[in-house]
Amino acid sequence: MHTTPYGSSTRWRGWIYVVPALTLFIMFMLIPIVENILNSLSRQGVTGVTWSNYRAMFHDPIFGVSLKNSIIWLVLTTFIQMLLGFFIAVLLESRIRRGRGMFRTLLFLPMAITPTVIAIVFSNIYAPDYGLLFGVFKSLGLVNHFPALLASRQTVTYALILVNVWQWVGFYVLMYSVGMSNISREVLDAARVDGAVGWQRLRHIIFPLLRSSHMSLMILGAIQALQQFPLIYLMTEGGPANSSQVLGTYIFQTAFLENNMNYASAISIVLLLIALLVAGVQLVLTRGNFAIGGGQ
Amino acid sequence: MMEGRGSHVGSYILMIAITILSFLPTIYMVDLSFRNPVSSFSPTLIAGHPTLSNYQTVLANPGFMHYFLNSVIVSLSTVTLTLLFSVLCGFAVSRLRIWGNQLVFYVILAGLMVPLAGLIVPLTVTLKSMGILNNYLGLIGPYTAIGSAFGLLVVKGAMDNFPIELEEAAVLDGASAWRVLAQVIVPTIRPALLVVAIWQFLYAWNEFFLALVVMTNPIMKTVPLMPLQFQGPYMTDPGALFAVLTLISVVPMGVYAALQRWFVGGLMAGSIKG
Repeated sequence: MHTTPYGSSTRWRGWIYVVPALTLFIMFMLIPIVENILNSLSRQGVTGVTWSNYRAMFHDPIFGVSLKNSIIWLVLTTFIQMLLGFFIAVLLESRIRRGRGMFRTLLFLPMAITPTVIAIVFSNIYAPDYGLLFGVFKSLGLVNHFPALLASRQTVTYALILVNVWQWVGFYVLMYSVGMSNISREVLDAARVDGAVGWQRLRHIIFPLLRSSHMSLMILGAIQALQQFPLIYLMTEGGPANSSQVLGTYIFQTAFLENNMNYASAISIVLLLIALLVAGVQLVLTRGNFAIGGGQ
Repeated sequence: MMEGRGSHVGSYILMIAITILSFLPTIYMVDLSFRNPVSSFSPTLIAGHPTLSNYQTVLANPGFMHYFLNSVIVSLSTVTLTLLFSVLCGFAVSRLRIWGNQLVFYVILAGLMVPLAGLIVPLTVTLKSMGILNNYLGLIGPYTAIGSAFGLLVVKGAMDNFPIELEEAAVLDGASAWRVLAQVIVPTIRPALLVVAIWQFLYAWNEFFLALVVMTNPIMKTVPLMPLQFQGPYMTDPGALFAVLTLISVVPMGVYAALQRWFVGGLMAGSIKG
């Protein structure tokens, strides 16, 4: 540990600099988490500690669907966004000479759009009869095969995930580009060679060099997927028949529409535990070195 | 080992195709905002015969600007406080090396991993008991708390790279810790601060979930709540609704397009580690 030029007394007095950030953290994060735990262990009309909120989950099919969908969201969005982001970034960084920055900016722009706007635009794209997707099917003469993606229990979650992928892929491209800016030009140029040799180098040289980018994107993707709320809330309200519900939307429904705060708190704890698990896996994989952007 | 001209052109064609695909929904949104009531239900990307009447309808609507005003107040306050608190905290953790600095860092960093949905129920109760529902502080406080985790990560990373010799020289000249921070360190880590500012602005400007439960009073609502507000009234008039959506999107897209040079540059320059 290196020393500081300010004298040892600042090691105590310096705490004053931490107070604002720490106070906000305690007020708006730590206390709510503790309150969640306490609320989840109590129930109206019951005195003392009760596990009934947690037991109720096992008999609640909507909770089961929400949990399953949250995990599908977490795995699928992260995987697809990383895959697309990686290949587009390789294409951009190794083969495009002019206009690289412009492509990066254009691809990132959907990230800047308010998710509630995106929700309504995509509702319109998916809409039967007047939507853009319907127009595509119509022009191909396939009107009878048009899938009402948001109205089917089988497809609704995947149709929503696609919207998330559309919005976030530019962020992944940017982060991989930043990661690649640390890789030497000669190594990158090797990826330009076509055919099997190029593919091998891509897999065995460039992919492993981006390890810290993979790690941080995996974590950011997982947390972002667990956060997703506006798309589902505005496009399907968790429907049809709760089939697109995730933990976030189900917490909202139980707490604010059904007024069952204790049960909502118990579901919140499950969500927080999943986030904790993700964070723990990340901590083990990166040995505590979390990185965003360039640098190894 | 040869790279033909063909593959070079092919790469550009592929890249342009990807970019166009990524832009289709935005083009569709903008085109819908220029359609008349008849063509707005036509299933095409571009309908033709654009009209400005939707924008006239929407801009004539009183009580349109207060959403933007609310969002400006909330976003700019959040950005300012996040920068201030992250810099102060990062300085104590990275340069002053206060007792327990690692603990403070990891505790606040944990905030990066906490999904807001998992806090929303007790957070609403807390904000209510503090009397700051339907109050700017009810959003600024939690947004700053959430943003400070990311802010601290970035700021500490930038400060860790700061050469101690410059600090020592300033202290020998009689500068206090506060002055070293404000006059020596902050100016040199400006790229990192811009990354935090841009990211935090986009977050605060676009956040929906907390705004939905905190701002129930119509005059306090922020921009992300507008689609919900205007969806009903403009149900039969999609052109007007999409004019609203386009106007909403102009601000964050414009801000990012104008500042992206610094955002990307800041990310490229600094290795941000925890």
